[in-house]
This record gives sequence, structure tokens and C-alpha cells, in this order.
Amino acid sequence: MSEFEFQRFVTIGQYLPTGSAVHRLDPRTRLLGGLFLLLAITLTPRLSGLALGLIAVLTITVLARVPLGYALRGVVPSLPFILFLALLQVLLGPGSAATTPLFSWGPIHISVTSLISGATIPPRFGGLILLLTILSASTSTTEMVLGLERLLRPVGRLGLPIQDFVLMIQVALRFLPLLAREAERIAKSQASRGAEWGTGRGGLLRRTRQALPILVPLFLVSLQRAEALAMAMEARGYRSDGRRTSMVALNFRRGDYLALLLSLIASAVILVA
Amino acid sequence: MAPFIVVENVSYTYGARSAATRKPQTSGASVGRGTTGSAAPSPSTPALHGISLEVTAGEYLALIGANGSGKSTLARHLNALLIPDEGRVLVAGMDTRDVAQHPAIRRLVGMVFQRPEDQTVATVVEHDVAFGPENLGLPRDEIRARVRAALETVGLWDERDRPPHMLSVGQMQRLALAGVLAVRPQCIIFDEATAMLDPAGRHTVHTLMRDLNQEGITIIAITHLMEEAVHARRVIALHAGSVALDGPPDIVFGDATRLSNIGLGLPGAAAIALALQSALPDLPRALLTPDALAAALQKYAPAATSQPRPDRTHAAPRVPVDGGAMPVPPDSGPHIIEASGLGHVYMRDTPFARRAIENADLSVAESGAHGLVGATGSGKSTLLQHLNGLLRPQEGTLQVGQYALHDAATDLRAVRRLVGLVFQTPENQIFEQYVGDEIAYGPRLAGLDGEPLRERVRWAMDLVGLDFEGFKDRFTFALSGGEKRKVALASTLALRPQVLLLDEPTAGLDPASRTELLQHLHQLRQTGVTIVLSSHQMEDVAELVTHVTVLANGRSVSEGPVADILGEAHRLADWGLEQPLASRVARALQAQGWPLVPGIVTESQLVAGIRRCLELTH
Repeated sequence: MSEFEFQRFVTIGQYLPTGSAVHRLDPRTRLLGGLFLLLAITLTPRLSGLALGLIAVLTITVLARVPLGYALRGVVPSLPFILFLALLQVLLGPGSAATTPLFSWGPIHISVTSLISGATIPPRFGGLILLLTILSASTSTTEMVLGLERLLRPVGRLGLPIQDFVLMIQVALRFLPLLAREAERIAKSQASRGAEWGTGRGGLLRRTRQALPILVPLFLVSLQRAEALAMAMEARGYRSDGRRTSMVALNFRRGDYLALLLSLIASAVILVA
Repeated sequence: MAPFIVVENVSYTYGARSAATRKPQTSGASVGRGTTGSAAPSPSTPALHGISLEVTAGEYLALIGANGSGKSTLARHLNALLIPDEGRVLVAGMDTRDVAQHPAIRRLVGMVFQRPEDQTVATVVEHDVAFGPENLGLPRDEIRARVRAALETVGLWDERDRPPHMLSVGQMQRLALAGVLAVRPQCIIFDEATAMLDPAGRHTVHTLMRDLNQEGITIIAITHLMEEAVHARRVIALHAGSVALDGPPDIVFGDATRLSNIGLGLPGAAAIALALQSALPDLPRALLTPDALAAALQKYAPAATSQPRPDRTHAAPRVPVDGGAMPVPPDSGPHIIEASGLGHVYMRDTPFARRAIENADLSVAESGAHGLVGATGSGKSTLLQHLNGLLRPQEGTLQVGQYALHDAATDLRAVRRLVGLVFQTPENQIFEQYVGDEIAYGPRLAGLDGEPLRERVRWAMDLVGLDFEGFKDRFTFALSGGEKRKVALASTLALRPQVLLLDEPTAGLDPASRTELLQHLHQLRQTGVTIVLSSHQMEDVAELVTHVTVLANGRSVSEGPVADILGEAHRLADWGLEQPLASRVARALQAQGWPLVPGIVTESQLVAGIRRCLELTH
């Protein structure tokens, strides 16, 4: 494996047409069902709920025929961040006054409560990333745009710029893999000029310093790309205030009601478990 | 009949109306113009300067000009992507300054851009084509019909369910065209739309342009390739934001001096004809294509017998090639690069796994010049990236100098000091503010400092023809496209690599910058540096290298001296390639009975060969 394959770890935003039952659902079902699960996993206070949430997400992953190893890899780049958060939670989290700390040192109190609340962080964030990965792997941009537009239509009547918002999401999702590829190119080019990329050497500080020469061109390149994309879309007649139609017809079938119902039930169980 | 597009005295300066233009065109971001290969216009100089012209419906127009001459800027005025600071643009009578008319204008004038991936908005091919018609608010059945018609026109109907990023670059560019066709415009602008394509892909797009034009669609093609411009019926050459030449190709390309003054050149055939003027004073001037040149030369064919000799084995005396012919050293010297059975899969073990090369072999002689050719997606860039250790061999073995790259313990930094790689459009990776700092980046990391560092930077800048005192303190973003390319090249050369890998070094450069770059690379060769060049431009390959490896579908399918490989027209076509122009003309002349030696690949070889033939008969 090459150390430059940043794309390997960017799983959010990659559409993976497997033709599974999940892919054949109405996009609104996926968006709403995903939202229910997202809220449930975010809000559930207990480890048991999180465990159920993870099971639900992994089940969907299998149903959507997205390879598990691939989907899990998307969690890897955020792992240090997640673990750091968990550690903070354990050390500085709100240990309730009622529980006696297991260990105290200055402002740091480790109690059973803080240990548990720290332990909820990795499954919570991991589950959320996995959920977003599956959602984007099973939903093409066209479906995403159409589904969001339909779902948000009531909000649009209040005069909010729905189409702009939807476009923003679409472009952001399209940009993630693209940026990974650009970063890869830039890192390679600088490695060719003697930077410590992909040599397996260099300490953390040194590696951090190497990031700056990547960020400057990456920033410029993403501006260019955003500009080029905006220009191409404008040239093809896109207007944020325009009345668009769609080639894809949405139809909400019996399976969609069933899936939506299932996700509602699952979310409720996750919340109360 | 009223003209379709009228441009009246238009001036435009980037950043002049910063409040009015929504483009991030501040000084730093203006580096962004590098994507189109054009120069970053500094805020004060106008990109367009009082341009006036008219385009009639149904025209086939080529727009040429040096990097930064304003071609793309002009094109973007024609479909209201840019609005003139002064003057006005009328499209079918509609003024582009009137925002209410923009939808109607963009319905009439479509645009295909240089980079295919910047134009795809959807993750499924047919959804992407539907984007335009959807914006028009058409009913669903009409959209379906148009999408199908557009995909069938460009030959992508069978790929309709695939994600665009799984297509080849050539297919993606045809997809971009389909997206424009589905809107049913009356005019299509191709903004260097063939720059990233291999010869076969370019040919397909040309054929599509011609067919569309015959159906009555106005075609405006922006290009750096003069060979492409000659197919148009009218050529407009821009220089510094103004129209320098405007007329039919034979008139525009009749003025060689004027062309070279504005950073352009003659199409290959015309350049050869010009070089033959002294020997054949009555040779017509307007010979723009290889076919026209060969036809005009027919009456001078030295074979007294008028019938052509298609049989290559006839006994006519072969005339040795001289003048400009590069002696072909035997490829038996010590090899500095020896790859055997290399294989690489990107994104291995993911659903996006894609095999880039398989069982590829490559040997490059020490101090040699080796070419890598092949269609887009044939694995050239992947193979190049193995040679300095950016990619580790997943399969096979690779020896570069004293280093075995298949061995995990190899010191990659040492390999990269030995082998420098210049990426495609390297100017996009410039990150320092000053030219001098950019070039010093590598040597500084290698531990150089003070006077030795200064000397190293000066040496590298000399090699690419940048004046040290004049350029070291210039801002990188304010350089022209050609200058940026030189800075990027110098920043790799500053590491004093013994092997230099170049990925499409001339892509997107105007003819003058290209010629200059090739000269510098020639000089570099004289200093003993080994060069490995990957290119879609067979003329570049012919000029610069002595041996060639052909890649097809990730495999090395042929290897040999440049004259042998580029001499086989049919096999090249199978690989999605073509012969360099000089070889194509030579082949036509041989068919007429000219006793040219086989193996002509460059223009100077062809000119020398023809002269010798003429001397023998007179």
C-alpha cells in the first residue's frame, strides 16, 4: 500500500452503486431514516443504546452490500481525534458529585461515570461516520439533491434558499474525494523534491511542518476547482433561483414505508435502551 | 443575415470590478488561471483590450494565442460567464450585460472545458448529462430523450449507468460534450478541450466537431495545437488581449514571422514546407496538413517512373538521413533503470480497486533518453511514479541505480535525490511566494545553505533559461504560464538529479514555450542527465528521445529505438497513438516513390531527407 493514497480513507462522499435493496429505496427514505438513526446515535446516553445503534448501522452496511472493511476504513483517519476526545472526557468530564472518584489529581477526577461517558465516544463517532459513509455510498448526487429538495420544500415556502443549501451539500460531498486526490498529488510532488513524505521517517513536529507546503497549494487548488465547477455549472444553465425539473422520478413504495418504519422503531429502541 | 455573436470593443481586466465579479480573482487566487495554462493576469493589465469581432452562425472557428493572450477570457464573454468592463457582447441580439438574458444565452452557447473532472456534477453518467436539460425545466420524457440522443452521439450510451470517475479521460471529455449537446445549443465552445487527450481521443473529438459543424452548429475551438487549428475555416490569433490575425487558415498561417512574434508557430506541415522553400522555390505556400504537403510534393518525386511504388522492398537506393538525425546509440550500455514485471493496483482491497499497470518492463540506459507512450490510462504516470519511489512495487522488481526499490529497506530519500520527477502541470504545485524560495525548497531540505544554496538556485535557473537576478525576487503568482512551468522544472533540477522523469512536460504550453522547453531539455541531455519522458505528443517524443517503451492497458507491449516504434503506423493506431507528423508525411512520400530511408520521425530529418533526394536527382 502506498502512503500517499489519502483517498483510501475518504469514504464519505463516495457513491458505490451495488444495486442492493438499500440502493433501490426512495432517497427520501434513506435521508429520513438516516436522520432518525443519526439523532438516536447522537442522543442516546447509554452504552447499551450505542451498541444497538452500531448493530443497526452494521446491518444496513451489509444490506447495502458495501464491503465492511472498506466502510470501517473511513473511521481510521478520525481515530486519533476520537480517542483524544474520549481521553478528555475521562479526565475532565463532568464526574457527577454523587460518585466517588476512583482517582484524583488536581483538577483531574476519574470516576466510573467519566470512564463510561468516555467509553461512549468512540462508538458514537464511529457509528456516525459509518452512517454517513453508507448514506453517501448508497445515494447518487442526483438522488441526494432531489430527495433533499423534496424534503425541504415546506421549509422553502418560508423563503429560505433551499436550492443553494442543497447545492452546497452536493458540492461539498463531491469535493471530499477530489481534495484527497489533489492532496495526494501535491504531497507526491513535494516528496519528489526531498520532503519527508512517504519515507516512513520524520517525527511528529517535522511531519506537521511538512503539512504547510501542502496546505497552501491545496487551498489554491480547491479554490480553482470550486471556481471551475461553478463555471461549468453556470455554463450549463444552472441558476440558484431557477425552476429545475428532474430526469429521475421519485416514487415512494411499500418497501419505503416499511424501511422508514423500521428505522423509526430502531431509533426509538436505541434511545430508550 | 445578422451575425450570431457580436463582440464590440470589449475590454476586461480581472479584479477590476471586484465587487461585481463573484470570482475569487484576488492576487493570490489568480494562480488559479494556471489550470487553463494561461498566465495569471496581474490586477492592472487588461486581459482583453478593445476586442471587436463577429461570428456568423455555422462558422468553424479556431482561437489561438500564446499563454495569457486572453483566449479563455474572450471565450467566457461569449456565453456571459464574464461580463465586459467596457464594450458589449451580443449573442443572437441579446446583450450579455442584461442578466435576465443569461439563461437564454447559455442555452444558445455551450462550453466544454479543459479538465473533464471539473465539469461532471453528478455521480452517474446519465444523470450528469441530464443536468443541463433539468436546469431548463424540461419535462421528464423530453430530458430522457435528449440524454439518450446526446449519449448516442458521443458513443457513451452503453456507459450510462456508470460513475463518471470510472471512465477514461477521453470518455469523460465526451461525457462533458454530451452534457452540452443535451441542451441543444447553436454554438459550442471547446476551451482547450483536447489538451488532456491522447491522439485517438483528440481525433474522436475533432470528428465530432466537424460532424456537429456540418449539422449547422457553430464551433469555436480554443487550442495550442496549430495542427488542430488548421481544420477550422477561420482562425483568430490573439496577442496580449487583442486580435492579431483573423482570416482563413492559409492566410493566418502564411505569416510565419508575425506568428512567431506573438508566441505562436506554424503547423508542422507548413514549417516543413517553409524549410523546403530554398530547395523548391515554387512550392505553394499554404500547405497546412500532411496530406496537402504530400500532394504538393508529388510532382517533385524524384523517381523518374511516375507510378508509385507501394512495395517497400523495392531496390531503389536508400538515401541516408543526415542533418538533425540523432545518432541512435546501441541500447546495450549500463542500465540505470531496470524494471521487470511491475504491477500496481490503486485502492487495493477497496471496492474502487483499479489496476494501473501489470507485468510492465522498462530498461533505460545510463545517460539515455527514453520515451513512454500510450493512450490515456495506459499506466504511464503510474510507472513513472515507481521510478523515484513514490509508489512501491506491489509486484515485480525495480532497480534504479544502486537501489532496489522492491526492497522495503531502501532509503527512499536517497532514491529521490537520484531521480527527480516533474509532474504534469507542475505549476499548480508551486507554494512559495518568491521564485527563488520555490527553487531553493529542495536543496534547502537537503541541507544546503548560504552561498552554495544561492549558487545551486542560480545554476538551476540558468538551465531553464530564467535570469537569476531578474527572476529570483519575482512573485510566483504573477508569472506567465510558460515561466511558471520553468520555475517548476528548475525547482526539481535544483536537486541535481541524475535521472529526470517528465510527465507531459509540454501539455498546455504555447508553441514558443514548448520549443524553448524542448531546447532546454536537449541541453540537459548533453550534461549526461538521463531523461524519461511520458507524452501524448509524438512530435515531442521524436525530438527528444532515442528509445521508446509503449504501454497499453498497463502492460509494456513494445520497446525499441524511436524510429522503429514510431515507424509502425498500424500498431500505433491500435494503441490509440499516431505517428509524428514528419513520419506521416514521409510515409506518403515513400508511397509516391521518394527513396527516403525508413525511420524519419522529426521535421528536420524529413527536410534533410527530401533535400538529399532532390540533390541526387538533379
